[in-house]
Amino acid sequence: MNLRAAKGAVAFCINILLLSASHPAVAQAPNTSLSGAITSATGAAVPNAKITIKNLASGQTSETQTDSSGHYNASNLTPGDYELAVVAEGYSTNTLKVTVISGSPKTADVTLAGVLSLQDLGISSDQAQGTAQDQARLNKRSHILMLHQRLGLIAAVPLVATVATSFGAGGRSTSTGDRWAHLVLGSAAGDLYFMSAYFAIRAPRIPGTQTRGQIRVHKALAWIHGPGMILTPILGAIAFDQKSKGEKVHGIASAHGPVAIVTAAAYGAAIVSVSFKF
Amino acid sequence: MDKKFFLAILLLALPRPAPADSQWILEESTLTYHASHPLHQTEGVSHAAKGKGVCHAGQCDFLIAVSVKSFDSGDSNRDLHMLQVVRGGQFPLITVRTHLPEDAGALATIPADLEVQFAGQTVQYKQIAFQHVTKGSEALITGTIPLTLTDFKIDPPTLLALPVKNEIPVRVEMKWRSQ
Repeated sequence: MNLRAAKGAVAFCINILLLSASHPAVAQAPNTSLSGAITSATGAAVPNAKITIKNLASGQTSETQTDSSGHYNASNLTPGDYELAVVAEGYSTNTLKVTVISGSPKTADVTLAGVLSLQDLGISSDQAQGTAQDQARLNKRSHILMLHQRLGLIAAVPLVATVATSFGAGGRSTSTGDRWAHLVLGSAAGDLYFMSAYFAIRAPRIPGTQTRGQIRVHKALAWIHGPGMILTPILGAIAFDQKSKGEKVHGIASAHGPVAIVTAAAYGAAIVSVSFKF
Repeated sequence: MDKKFFLAILLLALPRPAPADSQWILEESTLTYHASHPLHQTEGVSHAAKGKGVCHAGQCDFLIAVSVKSFDSGDSNRDLHMLQVVRGGQFPLITVRTHLPEDAGALATIPADLEVQFAGQTVQYKQIAFQHVTKGSEALITGTIPLTLTDFKIDPPTLLALPVKNEIPVRVEMKWRSQ
């Protein structure tokens, strides 16, 4: 062998050695299996029980289920700690921890104790099961009352502004601008109020429920601010007409202010009654 | 002396009878949920839970069920809103299942794994501590289940655009009687 060939052979061997050193062969622990039987408290096999096997280190899960004889088998599991969750219809869920060792198939039997159903508690299937229609009615009620709430809160803004502008609109004031502003704000407040009231009246009733608690105060106050929101603009229109003619507000129109104040106060109290707990 | 000795040996050699099957009935209960909102705190109370426990071969299985509608916060409007939010029209019951060894009855504090079905969802709560006091054939159990709205995929209800807190702990006080 000439010198050149010998050098090549040595270089090749060195490369092989270096490659082996940088990629040392690692011995892999062989996977193993987990199996067992799922039985009831009376010893009867539980077929079709679902078993979820969770590797506690990696969090990975796999599923299997029992056969007609109540047996299950999960193969190709890496060694480690696992949590088994056994679920079967009519039984309580049962969990247990097992440790799977390399090359040593593990057996884990589980007994699902007792079978308790709602019927055992005297609860019929009708009582246990609701309906989509019942839920839809509740959803509709909540949605409509949400609109009532939002419109009612928005209406409070022009209502407060109307009360604020009343000082410039009435009394000895001769300002037509203030009077018109008061009228426009009052109209806006009234429109929003009646839209809110519409949704409150249209919200579905839920059969079998009694009105209890602060909501009773909220509903009772509507008997004050409801008629007040009708009477106030009527009296206001009469007062507006008198002022426009240069007259002093007199007669029944002079009740516009007091009725408006009582209406606004009842409206504010209605908002407070459902916002805070007393 | 010999006769007594052999009699003693005989008695010791006899197999012990397996623990007899027994049942537990829920006699009284108070379940209280607590909801927190920036404007006020709310508690809803129910006394309508039904429950049963069956013990066999040293293991006991318990089932408790309560109607969502039975919770009373003192305001019917709030209760109806709660009923809608937790999908009580479609899932009218809350059920709790647990599995305990029969000798847990000797403990002052019982750690229980609970399976709670509520609002169409099933959630497991591990190692919930219940205080236990025995009075004759009755067992008084108290504890708190740390329910949250997110566990049951419930959108938090709001008041004046502010949502309630996610944590809705449920305080449980139960009196069980052995049959």
